[in-house]
Amino acid sequence: MTDGNDQSARPVAINGRKGEAVIEVKNLVNRFGDQTVHEDLDLTVKRGEIIGVVGGSGTGKTVLMRSILSLQHFASGEISIFGKPVTGLAEGEELEVRRQFGVLFQNGALFSTLTVAENVQVPLREFFHMQQDLMDEIAAYKLGLTGLGPEAAPKYPSELSGGMRKRAALARALALDPRLLFLDEPTAGLDPVGAAAFDNLILDLKESLGLTVFLITHDLDTLYAICDRVAVLADKKVLAAAPIKELLEIDHPWIQEYFHGPRGRAALAGADANQQMA
Amino acid sequence: MDGVQLQETENGKGALITVSGRLTVRFADQFSPKFRDLEARDGPLQVDISDADRIDTVGAWVLYRLRSVRQEAGKETEIVGASDDMEQLIQQIGDAKLDTRMRPEKRGGPLGLLERFGGHIVEGTLQLGAFLAFLGVTMMALGRTVLHPRRLRGAAIFRQAETVGVEALGIIGLMSFLVGIVIAQQGAVQLRQFGAEVFVINLVGRITFRELGVLMTAIMVAGRSGSAFAAQLGSMKLAEEIDAMRTIGMPPIEVLVLPRLLAAVLAMPLLAFYGSIMAIGGGTLVSWLQLGIPPATFISRLQEVVPITDVWVGLIKAPVFGLIIAVAGCFQGLQVEGNAEEVGRRTTAAVVQAIFLVIVLDAFFAVFFSMLGWL
Repeated sequence: MTDGNDQSARPVAINGRKGEAVIEVKNLVNRFGDQTVHEDLDLTVKRGEIIGVVGGSGTGKTVLMRSILSLQHFASGEISIFGKPVTGLAEGEELEVRRQFGVLFQNGALFSTLTVAENVQVPLREFFHMQQDLMDEIAAYKLGLTGLGPEAAPKYPSELSGGMRKRAALARALALDPRLLFLDEPTAGLDPVGAAAFDNLILDLKESLGLTVFLITHDLDTLYAICDRVAVLADKKVLAAAPIKELLEIDHPWIQEYFHGPRGRAALAGADANQQMA
Repeated sequence: MDGVQLQETENGKGALITVSGRLTVRFADQFSPKFRDLEARDGPLQVDISDADRIDTVGAWVLYRLRSVRQEAGKETEIVGASDDMEQLIQQIGDAKLDTRMRPEKRGGPLGLLERFGGHIVEGTLQLGAFLAFLGVTMMALGRTVLHPRRLRGAAIFRQAETVGVEALGIIGLMSFLVGIVIAQQGAVQLRQFGAEVFVINLVGRITFRELGVLMTAIMVAGRSGSAFAAQLGSMKLAEEIDAMRTIGMPPIEVLVLPRLLAAVLAMPLLAFYGSIMAIGGGTLVSWLQLGIPPATFISRLQEVVPITDVWVGLIKAPVFGLIIAVAGCFQGLQVEGNAEEVGRRTTAAVVQAIFLVIVLDAFFAVFFSMLGWL
């Protein structure tokens, strides 16, 4: 074929333009009793980026994610995904939106009575009619993508180690080829080698599938390695959402401590060293 | 539906398939069989995907499968029109595919049946052994606490006794009262045929103190508290709370099992006696309204016809039943392993086991007391 190099005719893995907003959070307020977690919080996540969300314990990172996923009722504010508000959707519409994102929960949240392979097939089975052999093949490559070995597929979640459970949960989150991926501390509890592999995997997936990733993490190495922008949660709002180099300049005690503390400096040194090698 | 279209043309070398539409998970059921047909086809094949709107990993997988299956069979296959990224995705997905079983191995047929049957027997035997071992460990822990009373967890015992005993008063009272009414009413109908209605007092008095009061109470406690013990300890086991206790140096038997066991042993005789009294109350009411026996007469007659040994029989059985219910509940709870379904299964097992054992023991007690001459 001579026109094989024609850019416009090429199939792409994902539709849509880069830079358009995928998640928009406006004036979000979250309260538990008298305690206010979020006060007028704003955040925009753009298509095709990996946004890291950081903040001290109890600053409401997970609450923010649960609000976006409409797993949690929020006091006031507006949240929209793919331009559609998450509240007040008709059931069919809500499913349509939900089908477009995958979620990796902090502890995996695999269904304990199903095998790992069946866990990955659950969303496929729920949304589509599909032949069993195709579903088996899909589960087999999804599990392989996340770096699991062949011995894991027929096992039950309780027979897996913590790291393997996370990978299996990621495979389930990826089952429907979502355009948007939510990850809650994906590398927590993984060994450094495994964590680095996980980072690479997410970067790979983002590049080959055009994913948008909402990533909650405490892992400074992850922030440096794969995040396009980092949103800092403090004082009940998003203090700043910017590429990490710009964040380093911001004069806020928590940000300074976080990125310029001993761990922050070590991660920065590591990231610089990696860049020089590359 | 704007699904997937495959258009076939000849281009000299062989068939050329032009793919248009969306090779995505949503349409997988539609295009996967078509590609399977292509896999089986003979002769050289070219697949042009430059017209496809969108290809996700499922599409990439199906393309990879087409190419690899055909190339293995020695058939010429080419995928054209793929961008570098797309080609890389196809390769990445293909490499990622695990060669693996999807389900745990299961033997079918008569052999499988035999295997499952044998498995049940082995499982049952092991469970029986484990139950006896658990009973022994619990008794030893109880012995240690008796020797060192300071290790007794008083607050926990009282809290458990409240849930096992005080909170059960309403339901056990109501149930026993109704049972008393039924026995008196049914007894009166039968005894009237002999003109012996007055023996209703013997019937209600003896059957409730000796058997029904304690038995019904035990069944209710097994359903209310035995199940709760199993579910509580089972969830704690799943959440590794039991392991955490061990590492802190709190023996779970002492911290979790003994308070529940002692609470059940304490509460059962009290509840059983209370249940018997409520049943007598029900019997008194029916005798009064239906047979015209005034309550005062009923009570004084009761003292004459019910030997005090009947009360002892009930009160001796009750703590033993309490012990069995608590041990069965805690044992099953601590046996939970793996998943949430197991908690439910073990909770059911706890109640079934407790009620079964209570009734078996009741039969033994009946023989035992008759040998003692407490008829």
